[in-house]
Amino acid sequence: MRIKRMLIFIAISLLAILSLTSVVFSAEALNAYSIWPENWARPMFEEFEKATGIHVNFLRFSSGEALARVIAEKNNPRVDVLFGGPVETHIAGIKEGIFEPYKPPTFGVLAPRFRDPEGYWIGIADDPLVFMSNNKFLKEKNLPPPTSWSDLLNSAYKGMIQMADARTSGTAVTRIFSIIEVFGRDENKAFDYMKKLRQNVQVYTKSGGGGTIPIGLGQAGAGIFFIVDALKTKQEGYDVVISFPKEGIGTSVEAIALLKGAKNPALGKKLIDWSTGPAMQNLYAKYKINFVPAHSEVKTEPSLAEVLKGAKVFPIDEAWAGQNRKRVVERWINEVLP
Amino acid sequence: MSAPTVELNPSNRLRNLLRDPLLLVSLIILWSLLILFILLPLIRLFIRTFEEGGHFTLSNILAILGDPNQRQALWNSLLLGCLVGLCGTALGFLFAFTAVRTNLSKAWTFFLDVSIILPLISPPFTTAIAMIFSFGPRGLITYDLLGIKNFTAYGLHSTLFSETITYFPIAYLTLKAIIAGIDPNIEDMAFSLGSSRWRVFRTVTLPLTVPGLANSILLLFAASLADFATPLILAGNSFPVLPTQAYLQITGLFDIKGGAVLSFILLVPAFLVFFLQRFWVSRKYYVTISGKVGAKTQVKSVPSWTKYFLLGLCLFISAFILYFYVLLFYASIVQAFGANFQLTWKHYRVVFTEGLKAIRDTLIIAGAGMPLGGIYSVILGYLVCKKVFFSRQAMEIVSMINYALPGTIVGIAYLLFFNEPPILLTGTAIIIIACYVFRYGPTGIRTTVAILQQIDPSIEEASFSLGAGSATTFSRITLPLILPAFFAGLGVVFIRSMTAISATIFLISINWTLITVRILEKMTELELGVAAAFSILVVFIVFIVITAISLFLRLFRQPGAPEMASILGG
Repeated sequence: MRIKRMLIFIAISLLAILSLTSVVFSAEALNAYSIWPENWARPMFEEFEKATGIHVNFLRFSSGEALARVIAEKNNPRVDVLFGGPVETHIAGIKEGIFEPYKPPTFGVLAPRFRDPEGYWIGIADDPLVFMSNNKFLKEKNLPPPTSWSDLLNSAYKGMIQMADARTSGTAVTRIFSIIEVFGRDENKAFDYMKKLRQNVQVYTKSGGGGTIPIGLGQAGAGIFFIVDALKTKQEGYDVVISFPKEGIGTSVEAIALLKGAKNPALGKKLIDWSTGPAMQNLYAKYKINFVPAHSEVKTEPSLAEVLKGAKVFPIDEAWAGQNRKRVVERWINEVLP
Repeated sequence: MSAPTVELNPSNRLRNLLRDPLLLVSLIILWSLLILFILLPLIRLFIRTFEEGGHFTLSNILAILGDPNQRQALWNSLLLGCLVGLCGTALGFLFAFTAVRTNLSKAWTFFLDVSIILPLISPPFTTAIAMIFSFGPRGLITYDLLGIKNFTAYGLHSTLFSETITYFPIAYLTLKAIIAGIDPNIEDMAFSLGSSRWRVFRTVTLPLTVPGLANSILLLFAASLADFATPLILAGNSFPVLPTQAYLQITGLFDIKGGAVLSFILLVPAFLVFFLQRFWVSRKYYVTISGKVGAKTQVKSVPSWTKYFLLGLCLFISAFILYFYVLLFYASIVQAFGANFQLTWKHYRVVFTEGLKAIRDTLIIAGAGMPLGGIYSVILGYLVCKKVFFSRQAMEIVSMINYALPGTIVGIAYLLFFNEPPILLTGTAIIIIACYVFRYGPTGIRTTVAILQQIDPSIEEASFSLGAGSATTFSRITLPLILPAFFAGLGVVFIRSMTAISATIFLISINWTLITVRILEKMTELELGVAAAFSILVVFIVFIVITAISLFLRLFRQPGAPEMASILGG
């Protein structure tokens, strides 16, 4: 009977599938959520394995998602380390009680802005924001690359600016705090500026670098991004130009943190030791990762240093930003976004 | 044993249940599964939504309804859902009618099937990405082809367009099975009584498809209400919709409570439509598979000029869909789309080295979910449609919940509930498989119900009166007739396991990851070439599997069941 034959077939295929599901575990391994893109995190973790013999299983998430996930898994953490991502993510996590403080050997060497005083997070890199514009667009509109925040208010940019949405993106939060800083922490003035800038914005993107390809393609004219995303766009061959505002622009620390209740805390600490020192940060140049190293003994890659030369870059006051983050982002959602 | 269509009072129903032990056992198993995988996670989530410091409160809901921005988002979602439901169903009907009723040659049918299948078997955000490239100030279509400079790619129009293209295949699958199930002899009778073709279409064919149309509108409305990825990319900031707001609330603002509240509001319209549909359809009664033998006749309900007009329309839309996928394929084989058009295989190399684990995991999960989803949806659909038992309506409603809910909420609810004892499932493949089966089973359930509504109860009554029990009647009479529904349920679960993202993005783990999540990640990492290569791979795998299922079923096909191709189009 046909039906019976078919049911037998289904049963056999089910068994075959289930037998495939056995997973092989390697001897020494730790688990991590990476906020760094896979194509940067992977070589780092492979080098770590080469150096220590410890394998890193990892999954990549954007900062908001990684944090939401770690918070949701708080009672039963699935990973040991949260790797990379703008530090405001980690600061938001401290209040949720998801991190275990740990001070690696490099703790004393690092500049204070690259470490949490309690050791809840440690900086591994510095990532400044930049303006990035499409060359063809600038030529068509007869504009020089923007060198002031007020340049972006020019009506020639109307509907042609893309930048990140503060609800999901750490890039956007850093940008907003940059603007507040540029206006001397006069929030009303800063929000007036952002509301004016809104008139020129085509769309706020989910991820920090979401606008880089549209700008590369000319679908949008200009935007504000982290230098890693902007330089990557340029290296891929898109005709874009990077510039800095003369009033200055913010830079955010990229951080690493150990999770409370981690199943492999000793291995997690080894990864933190390795990544907060020259061992990992010397590799940025080799893999064309355009972060500025956090450790003072590691030299910035020359071509990256060249781009940054003369740029007025200031660190975001992370403590102040952490305290005011929720309120400022909510104000942005209510006043600027609609 | 009494005939199943006779209305019984509750005490009789209970007695009836006890007399049929197989029914009782199936009910107990199904209810345990429904409670475990649908109700309990939701209850866990609602406790988080309505609890404030140990007390019940409505303030969370009221705060959202008082916010004009969120009210606008709610209105936008309803508008979008209705429009997608109507446009998608219209488009699905156009394709289904053309494919079934115009005597197309095999080659044309194949071409239409391929272009319809493409959106169905690819991740939902792939068309959205192709739209960003094609429309906009420098879009390939709006600027390079039409010379329009100020076209905006973001808003209601593009979201509606993209969701319609993405979801109309669901309407097509639902309607094609229904239309194919209408015996042309019935149309013949109307012709021989002197009706015009238009009148036959209006008074015979169309009314017979009403349950299908209602199903299809419901399914598309629900699909649109649940879709956060397309509006996330295309709606822009002037057209906020609730699923995206809920997603952003959770992933961006770490506000699970706020997201849960937003999605709770979404549940109301989803259920409203569901009850409307039940009320409307349940009053109509259709029997076209009569069990009485009639000679197969040539379909003659469409004159040739209409045929070419319909075919032309379908071809235009198909060409558009194919263009999107050619664009996607092209992006996967060049160095950097828009900047460096040198051909390369490097993106595929990445897929088959770094992506290998995701591919393996996804195939295992989809392969395990597929038969489970098919069995689940056929059994549940059969029970709620053909059996009279206590809690029948409740079972049908509960089975729809995970489909109607935005996936993000299902994902978060699963994560909250299964991350703690007593049932610790996070990090396993089971949680992902269960999520797919209970979230996408309803498509198969609806197909089962729609097909069963066309089967004359007298066939089953005959079996009962000849002394066959419940099990024999089911396996000998009903099962062969609903086999296509089994494969629709199975196919949809497989396809969604390969393509869906909204719920499972929260359920993937270090041990088990999915291709779709990798695609979205690759997109946010700006590795568009790799994302495109992954998408092409998904399309390829699903296409192969669907074709295999289709051939396999042809081997086992029972006489009297509708053609397999009418369900999966392969």
